[in-house]
Amino acid sequence: MKKLNKKALRVLLVIGKYARWTVGIALALFLTWRIYQVLFVQQAFTADTWLRFALSGLILGGMYALIAIGYTLVYGIMFMINFAHGEVMMIGAFCCYFVFEALRFIPAPIAGNPDLVFLNAYPILSILIAFLVGMTVSGFSGYFLEKIAYRPLRHAPRLILLITAIGASIFLQNAAMLLFGPQRKNIVNPDILTRTAGWTIQVAGKPVLISYTGAFSLILSALLMIGLYFLVQKTKLGRSMRAVAQDQDSAALMGVDVNKVVSQTFIISGILAGASGVMWGIHMGLVNHITGSLPGIKAFTAAVLGGVGNIPGAMLGGITLGVIESMGPALFGIDFQLKDVIAFLTLIIVLIIRPSGILGEKLTEEKL
Amino acid sequence: MKKANLVSGFRSGLVFGIVLVFLFLIGFLETGAGLLSKFFGDPVPTNTLPKLGYVILFLALMAIWSGSGSSKKINPDRFSELVLPVLVNGGVLGLMTALMALIFGNYVKAGVDVRNYLVAVSPASIKMLMLNLTEPVQAALALFALMTVATFLGALLHFVWNRHLSEKVKRTVSSKIESVGQSKMMSLTSHPAARYIALAGALALFFFLPRMWGSYWNYVLGTVGIYILLGIGLNLITGWTGQLVIGYVSFFGIGAYTFSLLTAPEPHAIMMNFWLALLIAVAVSALVGFLIGLPILNLRGDYLAIVTLGFAEIVRILLKSDLLTSFTGGPRGIRDIGGPTLFGADFSSDVNFIYLIFVMVILIAFVANRLQRSRTGRAWEAIREDQTVAKATGINTFSSKLLALTLSAAVAGLAGVLFASRNQFTGPEDHILLVSINVICLMIVGGVGNIPGIIIGALALKGLPELLREVSNFRMLTFGALLVMMMLIRPDGFLPARRPRMKRPMVEDPQEKAEEGA
Repeated sequence: MKKLNKKALRVLLVIGKYARWTVGIALALFLTWRIYQVLFVQQAFTADTWLRFALSGLILGGMYALIAIGYTLVYGIMFMINFAHGEVMMIGAFCCYFVFEALRFIPAPIAGNPDLVFLNAYPILSILIAFLVGMTVSGFSGYFLEKIAYRPLRHAPRLILLITAIGASIFLQNAAMLLFGPQRKNIVNPDILTRTAGWTIQVAGKPVLISYTGAFSLILSALLMIGLYFLVQKTKLGRSMRAVAQDQDSAALMGVDVNKVVSQTFIISGILAGASGVMWGIHMGLVNHITGSLPGIKAFTAAVLGGVGNIPGAMLGGITLGVIESMGPALFGIDFQLKDVIAFLTLIIVLIIRPSGILGEKLTEEKL
Repeated sequence: MKKANLVSGFRSGLVFGIVLVFLFLIGFLETGAGLLSKFFGDPVPTNTLPKLGYVILFLALMAIWSGSGSSKKINPDRFSELVLPVLVNGGVLGLMTALMALIFGNYVKAGVDVRNYLVAVSPASIKMLMLNLTEPVQAALALFALMTVATFLGALLHFVWNRHLSEKVKRTVSSKIESVGQSKMMSLTSHPAARYIALAGALALFFFLPRMWGSYWNYVLGTVGIYILLGIGLNLITGWTGQLVIGYVSFFGIGAYTFSLLTAPEPHAIMMNFWLALLIAVAVSALVGFLIGLPILNLRGDYLAIVTLGFAEIVRILLKSDLLTSFTGGPRGIRDIGGPTLFGADFSSDVNFIYLIFVMVILIAFVANRLQRSRTGRAWEAIREDQTVAKATGINTFSSKLLALTLSAAVAGLAGVLFASRNQFTGPEDHILLVSINVICLMIVGGVGNIPGIIIGALALKGLPELLREVSNFRMLTFGALLVMMMLIRPDGFLPARRPRMKRPMVEDPQEKAEEGA
């Protein structure tokens, strides 16, 4: 009986060894066939539609990337999935809503237009205030989250940290629901950033709208990512963050204040999530208490896709996931209801074929 | 030293002030006062506010808590050292409450309805906060005075208790317990006959109670039983093997749907026998668990959590989508699911069903208990404690984890079958992620890795909310806070697991003997 078991196990392991390749090749073949079918045989969509999908994917991907960086930073240092990170992003989106609502009530009459409100009189300033408030509040939420919930458990088993993170996520989500109500709220943008306005370009004889909000979010997320890259690579704070991620004890011996660095990491990841939340609010225009949960999970997927602990990986993963999600349903010829299924299937398939992600993991210790 | 005391008083006031503001903003002030009112035998009718006295009592209790907390923290020798910090504490708390009353009172006075932004803050609840006073300034002053005095009172009470009473009370209580005759009680409960009598009593209770207390309680108890099954199942992989599975509901859903498709007249009209369909559904769930685990379990531990989370979402979206409507019934779900039969006779009345659930719970609990003490169970616990060491001692960690996941998926499938069959209906909304979060919660509240703990947890989380209907809005919020607090304060749960005591092998270790000789 025991021998049989061992033999069966060995067979399983051999299958497992080749399964990775088999699944990968089969999948690649299937994808090429499917893409060939959709693009050349069926021709269900014309070039302008594809461009539209790609654009919305890029915009979504930029936001995912910003959230994913937060996951990756925290995972690199504490080896925990910060499940409440999506809720930090939700807080950012709510800040955007409240700032715009507040500024809409402040009158700023000028000659010729007595009904003008602050939001439309100084649109750039208003957007700046929204970002400032959103990023500050989210940064503080990240800080307090770490201080209250995670710091006392720094050396606890990781299962406990993970459960704490889930608890914090549930708490924040339901607090937002009880405070602000379950129904979705409309975010009214300043007039210069109306969601239907944008540049129109002609592709294949049809107009494609590049909305201002979309272009704005994409550019801003790119700028923030570049800024973060410099922060991590060039500044003293970045160096100490990398040192703590490599080896906490040695970093402490070299004079790095580990607690402070962990706090700062949470603040930075909170700020990025807050920026992405404000962008989400400006671009999508709707916010409620579950705004953060699905993007949060998907951003973690993006972080795994690019390679956990790897900041360029998180950016690439975020963009890739956004594009896959928005082009996938059309590409594989399935229902648009199922775009979330595609995102999660991507995660599972990536973990089967290449568990270390596209750009590889940058984790020093193999902590199981 | 004195400055530190002041700071700690300030901090206590600030924390309690924030909590109080938060509680008011989510509308818990009303609920809390209502609960107090119910506690004193004066239940509040729906759509009316609790009486003023209970609101004051609720606020005062918060302040007393805060004051006694800072007294406990400072722990002075003389009361005079306590006066200033406690005044700071009460002042901060009172100031925040008063400020809140002032702001909202002025809003009400100006006729602004803040409910567009803060849904729970109705004009009536603001009036309640203002202690039924009309002028915001008056209300603010009254609240400030109330909170400061109550905080002071709290500190005084704690000081007196701590200085003069606690020793005395403890001594009396402990001497009383001794005088009751602990030894006699112990010998009585540990006698084997007593255990059998207790067992027989419990069995009789299980047999007669469901016949007596009506279908509503049978329904509630049945739900508790199903959650106990889920808890025991999740405990196999998460509690004992230490691998978090967040999307546990997917196995539950797969079991329920497989069973439903096999027994319901629509959409496939297979109408299979209950027991056969049950076996198939459990096998399918186990198989899915196996297939999920195969590529994931040799990766980093967290990946299992996130993959099962994604999988649960995939299952739910697919069940809801139009793609599978012809196969699974789509968003409408499946109706008229077959009930159990016993030797050809119908066995699906609610009383019979609760027997079935009880039997299944006892069976699964027994199997799980045996498993824990077996070689496999010990291997699982070794993996939980340290995977590398477990590997080094010759445990095949991958196949052990795979076995745990498969078994726990099978138990979830069984729970899903019972759930679908009892409700005679199942739809995509029965299998949302909340179910698995509930299961994780009940496992943690009761005590990870402990079957009696899981039973207590299921009763507390699924049974108690039926008793306290007022707080149902705040249930998930409390869950979240409870999860964090439990992890911070008591990571082992209310009934922490004890390691099964193994007998030492009778063969003596030759090396040890040699060392003793030397």
